[in-house]
Amino acid sequence: MQATIIPTKTLDVRGEICPYPDVNTMTTLKQMNKGEILEILVDYPMSVERIPRSAKKSGHKVLAVERVDGPNHRILIEAFGLK
Amino acid sequence: MNPLIWTGLGLGTLFGFALQRGRFCMNSAFRDILLMRDFTVFKAVAAAILIQMVGFEVLALTGVITLSPKPLLWGANIVGGLLFGVGMVVAGGCASGITYRVGEGMVGAMSAVLGFSLAGLATSAGLLNPIATYLQTSTKVMTADDKSLTLANVLGLPHYVVAFGLAAIIILLWLFFALRNREEGYDMGKASLGESIFKRGWGWLAAGIVIGLIGIAAFPLSSATGRSYPLGITGGWVGIEKTIVTGENAISWEALLVIGVVLGAAIAALIAGEFKLRAPAPAVLMQTFAGGLLMGFGAVTAGGCNIGHILSGVPQLSVGSIVSGLSIIAGAWITGYLLFMRPEQAPAPQPLVSSSARPAGD
Repeated sequence: MQATIIPTKTLDVRGEICPYPDVNTMTTLKQMNKGEILEILVDYPMSVERIPRSAKKSGHKVLAVERVDGPNHRILIEAFGLK
Repeated sequence: MNPLIWTGLGLGTLFGFALQRGRFCMNSAFRDILLMRDFTVFKAVAAAILIQMVGFEVLALTGVITLSPKPLLWGANIVGGLLFGVGMVVAGGCASGITYRVGEGMVGAMSAVLGFSLAGLATSAGLLNPIATYLQTSTKVMTADDKSLTLANVLGLPHYVVAFGLAAIIILLWLFFALRNREEGYDMGKASLGESIFKRGWGWLAAGIVIGLIGIAAFPLSSATGRSYPLGITGGWVGIEKTIVTGENAISWEALLVIGVVLGAAIAALIAGEFKLRAPAPAVLMQTFAGGLLMGFGAVTAGGCNIGHILSGVPQLSVGSIVSGLSIIAGAWITGYLLFMRPEQAPAPQPLVSSSARPAGD
């Protein structure tokens, strides 16, 4: 993935319990304009797999799912613009 | 102490490994249907139930085990199931979910487990016991010859006919719908077999099959210690809590199974690099503890949690387990709606979001 993607917003949901990482991500994406990029920092394994799935289903574009270290992941999603 | 109870630790370790790799949590399974229209985890649960429905029946027909469906205690099943369902959404995990996440290092799950085992013991042997006993004894319904109600004896058909028939019907319907709407997930990229087992999360079908097979193995292993029932979680935690609090040895096959689940999940998380001690905010820790309390009272009142009733009881066609399972789902959906869907319609606060314009990859 390109290293030059600049996220519009960052959502740090590390440490959060199920399903807050997902709910917070989807709520935030809904409020973003088309083309804006959300960076999600998440360490909950289930959400690392589920967030890209739900985002794709809602029409957003998953740009990257990267492992930072251990369970810490960084997900980049381009908002579809549902606002 | 029967030395055969140690098979519980071994099988529990496998179970915990599978739960962690398969992200197998019924809280997610039921809640995600409502919240995200996501059926992935639900399909894993359904697959595990179907495999056990067939497996238990084969073991029973060949005389290896004696089926022991739980009785219908409708008042206790409904009240306990609803409260358990509410509790698991508040706690962020079902009984097996919070147990395996202890092994992942999630402090929120640890506080949920503390609440769960405390309220579980209080309900089985302490202050809350009269409420559970009253509900259970006043709403118990058995067959004329004092057997637990099952779908088979309610319909007046042989048990194996209903078990095999139901499994076949569900599988056919499932294939029909699965072929009509294929879902496309997000592709995480290719992986070797070793990576798929030890590093990646398992797909729903693999998770469902492995957990179903573990459940089938549980029945004869547990029966050999005098506990004629497959997988369970609640009784295990209550036994551990009782042993710690009273000093009386209440470590059963099920208690060792629970300890095994924590160990197995820890091993799986360590190998996959997913182990990390992590805690949510203090208020959320209190929330998961409170959720655990509701789950403990609910599970002991209903006579089982999502594992005892849904995973182990539904495949035995127990009407009590089906009523409890539906109540758990109802409780989870009501709470999921109130906690996560209704607030979305209101102007949402965004305490966690920060704007940033820094380049990615720092």
